[in-house]
Amino acid sequence: MIDYWPWWAGAAGLALVTINYTVTTDRSLGVSSAWDRVLHWRSERRVERINARVTDDRVLVEALAAATAEQFGGRPPAPAPRHAAPADPQALGLDTSPTADTNNPFANLLPAPLVSQAALLLSIFVGGWIAAVTAGRFHLRLDMGDGFRQIVTDKPIHMVATLFVGGILVGFGTRLAGGCSSGHGLSGCGRLQPVSLLATAVFFGTAVVVSFLLWKVF
Amino acid sequence: MRTRGGVLVANIIAGLALGFTVANIGFGDYAELNRMFTFQDLRMLLAFAGAVGIIVMFFALLRVRRNLGRIHAGVVPGAVLFGTGWAISGGCPAIPIIQVASGYLPALVTIAGVIVGIRLCRWANTRYFHLDTGSCGQ
Repeated sequence: MIDYWPWWAGAAGLALVTINYTVTTDRSLGVSSAWDRVLHWRSERRVERINARVTDDRVLVEALAAATAEQFGGRPPAPAPRHAAPADPQALGLDTSPTADTNNPFANLLPAPLVSQAALLLSIFVGGWIAAVTAGRFHLRLDMGDGFRQIVTDKPIHMVATLFVGGILVGFGTRLAGGCSSGHGLSGCGRLQPVSLLATAVFFGTAVVVSFLLWKVF
Repeated sequence: MRTRGGVLVANIIAGLALGFTVANIGFGDYAELNRMFTFQDLRMLLAFAGAVGIIVMFFALLRVRRNLGRIHAGVVPGAVLFGTGWAISGGCPAIPIIQVASGYLPALVTIAGVIVGIRLCRWANTRYFHLDTGSCGQ
């Protein structure tokens, strides 16, 4: 039996990570969106270059609308009148709370820089490796452990197929739902966002049902 | 910390801390995960729920921005697919990285699956769904 942290230490650790990230960057921590942006780095880098070049808010809005249309399909919305009055951030539903950037209310609407998302994924690897080594749990192995062997499958080919299909479901599902256990589960539920509460209830509930089926039926 | 460099440093710190914490809680261990989802051991469930409780309190105290978010057509089917994938592979998008870092080499296959799934979703969304699914991690 491996010694893991007690529940209260885990709760404090996860909360500290999420709160610290949100307070220091005014953004939400989300691993699936980091994956998404890193995997589509060409289009994301194009948007970043436009963001860096553009000083005219109207051109920026049009560029973002075009990028959104490219990602989700459909036609970009008609451009705003050239001399339209500046929008009121509160009227647009933007944040004007003390944690927001008071110099530029639009700054935190832009996604985190692409390189920082790649750094997040690499840092997760390093953090996990440090934890495994310092706890004496690091062992190179070609299986997923006794639990996986007993509950899912002990055949290597079936294991590879299960992990691949499971990974596809995780990747597809998290992007379709707009977040994962960190984005919806910690950041979103922490903000009591209805969409995150619904997503978390559904993915946790589904995982409970499937886990019981694997444990008791298959 | 809201400049490009600041966000980069914050992401590195968050990644290191998240990887270290999640690995030490045991989310990378399939047996522990199954025990959590089947309520045989409530330790990891309490860690997750406890974290959410602490975050709710701190975010309320700090008056952190609360974006209502839009419940679109992809939320429920996406969450069902994710929950199924998590239960059978033992991985959410961060966990296979931690599993590989802990020496579980087959988790590379899970990562390959996650990559295919994410690319497939964007392709399908552009071509068929046309959903603005939003994103939690911006």
